[in-house]
Amino acid sequence: MDARTGSARSGIGLRSAHVAEVLARRPAIGWLEVHAENYMGGGPAIRALERLRGDYPISVHGVGLSLGSVGGLDPGHLERLAALVDRIHPTLVSEHLSWSTTGGAYLNHLLPLPYTEETLAVVCEHVDRAQHRLRRHLLVENPSSYARFEHSTIPEAEFVTELARRSGCGLLCDVNNIYVSCRNLGDDPAAYLDRLDPAAVEEIHLAGHAVNDADGRPILIDDHGSRVTEDVWRLYARALARFGPVPTLVEWDTDLPPLAVLLEEAGIAGALLTSADRAGHHAHAA
Amino acid sequence: MPTLRELQAGVRAALLGDDESAAVALVRADGLAASARLAVYRHHVFTSLTAVLESTYPVVARLVDPRFFRYVAHRYIRNHPPTSPCLFEYGATLPAFLEGFAPSRHLAYLPDVARLEWALNAALHAPEPPPIEPEALLARADVGLHPSVTVLQSSWPVDAIWRSNQPGADVAVVDLTTGGVRLQIWRIGEEVAFRPLSRAGFAFRDALARMRRLEAAATAALAADPAADLAALIREVLEEGVLV
Repeated sequence: MDARTGSARSGIGLRSAHVAEVLARRPAIGWLEVHAENYMGGGPAIRALERLRGDYPISVHGVGLSLGSVGGLDPGHLERLAALVDRIHPTLVSEHLSWSTTGGAYLNHLLPLPYTEETLAVVCEHVDRAQHRLRRHLLVENPSSYARFEHSTIPEAEFVTELARRSGCGLLCDVNNIYVSCRNLGDDPAAYLDRLDPAAVEEIHLAGHAVNDADGRPILIDDHGSRVTEDVWRLYARALARFGPVPTLVEWDTDLPPLAVLLEEAGIAGALLTSADRAGHHAHAA
Repeated sequence: MPTLRELQAGVRAALLGDDESAAVALVRADGLAASARLAVYRHHVFTSLTAVLESTYPVVARLVDPRFFRYVAHRYIRNHPPTSPCLFEYGATLPAFLEGFAPSRHLAYLPDVARLEWALNAALHAPEPPPIEPEALLARADVGLHPSVTVLQSSWPVDAIWRSNQPGADVAVVDLTTGGVRLQIWRIGEEVAFRPLSRAGFAFRDALARMRRLEAAATAALAADPAADLAALIREVLEEGVLV
């Protein structure tokens, strides 16, 4: 991520309420990630991003391409994403393993897919089309899940690994999503991590989640509304041990705190990244 | 085994419609009922889209009270879900929806207040082609309004209603009998603004927006007010940078 040293750094998801402060203070942070769809209009938002890209590497994170929609990618939306990528020259471009659009309606949720050969073919074709149009390597993020389908036959970790192998995309490994999904679906988060191909993982996401009650049973909600939990930090340390130092982002969307809190969380991730980096150098020296 | 197409149609019906039977049959229960699992997704769809509408229409939400607004939003989302993932574009048809929404029909000014709020939102996110420079105007056959501009005519004092419902505004009683307004809403640099237009000023811009011809706009302005000063109208739109 850092062009001078080549070492991975931590960044924050930039939300509109923090833009003015980041522009004014230019805090020391490795990089910024923005949601692509918030910058597809004209006006102050995109102008601010154009100013920030001079000082920070920018990652463009799409939430609306709907890679898993059986009806195909919306060509108009792909063009808008391509225009944004051409304008901002981001260091990373990512999307989600999910679907949101059906029959012309955009449901504003990263909805779950059945992991089958049919789905794999659909998502591979869409990743391929997106990479071709963007002339960029795309990273694809594992979703947080509250349900799975009876006819899913492929474990998610294997599905994303195979997707990366077939389409050439990278993986955006959301460690909090792994934790949330595994807890909600009765799987083992560590075993999930261990199934991923380390060579494919090019970015990590961290965020907080909420614990809600559903019919008397706890269900974890990926609301990005609090600090990263202890369990997720532990899982992150395991991810770094397995994948090496990978650029890591802290996201926060609900109940957005002061910028300083986000920077603190990113600082914790940064310290873990630095020790993973050292551990890597020791390993090479040994 | 269901196809992906069947699954996505079933989940849509479960989230936006009244029938979750197809989706329930596909979801593994695993200690929590399929319908409770689907409810987590449905809850997020409605709360997140309601928040989008609330942030675009804060004055409407305030005028009807937040609980009623959530009810309006729920009905609107079910019948008019977004068609694009760019959510700053969501809600353009809410003013028309409010026109036909019986439970708030007694607030006759509400749809026009919504139109003003939509115009402010559209101005903020509009693309920004450079405006026409004065010296280039005469060489152009085709002249229209800048994409950030909306002109709005209402039989209600929607500008006063909007102002008195801003955070920190004096809670003044708006006299609805003061009559209607004609407004121009547009973006100036980083800010959005609106101002009242004369009868001729409104007709001039409205005709430009619809017909993209200066002659047609001049004819419309004179029809609205035979005493209109055309040179002053043209100077005004050039100075405001609202022509493209």
